[in-house]
Amino acid sequence: MPKDELKKYYDMLELPPDAPLRDIHNSFMRLKKIYSGDSIVLAPLGEEFSEKKRKRVLEQIEEAHLKLLEAKKDAPSRTAPLFSDGREPEDGPEMDKIGDGPYTGPSLRKIREKAGVELNEISKELKLRMELLKSLEDEKYEALPEAIYLKVHLKNYASFLGLDPVRVTEEYLRRYQAWKGKTGPAEK
Amino acid sequence: MAQTTKVREGEIWAVGGGKGGTGKTFITSSVGTYLAKKGKNVVLVDMDIGGANLHSFFGISRPQKSLTSFFEMGASLSDLVVKTELDNISLISGDVHSIASDKITFSQKLKLFRQIMKLNAQNVIIDLGAGSHYNTLDTFLIADRMIVVLVPEVIAIENMYHFIKNSLFRKVKKTLKEYGFKEIVQHIWDRRQSYGINNIKELIDYLKDSFSYIGTILDHELAAFKIHLVLNMVRNNNDILLGASIKSVMMKYLGVPIQYSGYIEYNDAVWKSVRERKPFMLNYLATGCAKEIEVLVDNIVKGREVSLPGGY
Repeated sequence: MPKDELKKYYDMLELPPDAPLRDIHNSFMRLKKIYSGDSIVLAPLGEEFSEKKRKRVLEQIEEAHLKLLEAKKDAPSRTAPLFSDGREPEDGPEMDKIGDGPYTGPSLRKIREKAGVELNEISKELKLRMELLKSLEDEKYEALPEAIYLKVHLKNYASFLGLDPVRVTEEYLRRYQAWKGKTGPAEK
Repeated sequence: MAQTTKVREGEIWAVGGGKGGTGKTFITSSVGTYLAKKGKNVVLVDMDIGGANLHSFFGISRPQKSLTSFFEMGASLSDLVVKTELDNISLISGDVHSIASDKITFSQKLKLFRQIMKLNAQNVIIDLGAGSHYNTLDTFLIADRMIVVLVPEVIAIENMYHFIKNSLFRKVKKTLKEYGFKEIVQHIWDRRQSYGINNIKELIDYLKDSFSYIGTILDHELAAFKIHLVLNMVRNNNDILLGASIKSVMMKYLGVPIQYSGYIEYNDAVWKSVRERKPFMLNYLATGCAKEIEVLVDNIVKGREVSLPGGY
């Protein structure tokens, strides 16, 4: 990424250039809270500043976070094998975009660790049990809730890390469903 | 005295913020007291006309001289300086009952500003009254350091935004007037709906985009428009972090850089002595907030920001 573009994203997150991942994460969480809703510091600005402006700022913060996480990522380090059955992932243009291939439990953990985020922070913020988050990253499918709930948790988890929630959910659930198919139909 | 060539050596600080009761006078007097203790020669000016009580912080119940003489008898400001019991610090009382601040004439105002700038002091600190009257805003704008005092309450935040937005508007207008574009700002602002302008930020952006010459002027002149924020009467970490949130909003929505210079914890003893008009400053070092005042002043002087709890 060009330097001035990078600087723009650091500015957006109100950080000096080359701030560590930890700060990127903290700043993102702090700003997200301010611009997500009826914050005590936003409401008094009055109607001359529109809801559209707020949403735009929120988008810019999310974009900056995502871009900075990407920029911080080293050369793609794949968790091999990416699929538990040993199959190589299909390579495609998509691969370059996220560097780490399809989102899996272990790859999500890697991204989280690189972002300097502790599991208990997520647990606290999303009000999810630690065991559930651990099982999610370990792909201990049998310990995870039904897909319909899992989907919600995955979405929240992904947004927390500034990842694309739709992609994360889709790719994670694909593997989950494959496992489910193997172990037979659901009890119900 | 060769007044025409005299270059001002001292610095003018102004303490404002919109809402009443946020502790502007307390901050003015304690900041002044600390600067004086560090050896600076300090003059405090009470511009809270009609609500002046700066003198009582120093145990002066009925000031012998006040701005009344300036407004009504044409006295010179430097003759109205009253000594306090503390070393290095004196004050000009705003204990004026015969005139309301909005009755001050334009020429009186200019004369006042000229004489404030000539006061013989290393630090002049002006205590502004509440509200966003244009006389208050103009006084705020002559300062080298513009300080706003806030308490963690929605109404106070609202008033402070109003105060800063109006100061900025006033600053833009004044600046362009100096460059010979006297009418343009008000003209566009009055027709803002047809220009699709909703706020001061969009007005500035419009001016910059439409007139590149004006854009250059504004970029240059507004670079110095920087506000020091003090959060007073904080009770917990959330209150403290509010300053950082306001800084963010001010930059992203108004393009106004804020330096979050310090915060003062809520202190019952302070609150009580202010309310009872005790000569608080005479022994303020005994109170718990002296340390926070020191940090605040040092941050303002050095252009630094306060460090926040919780790794932010």
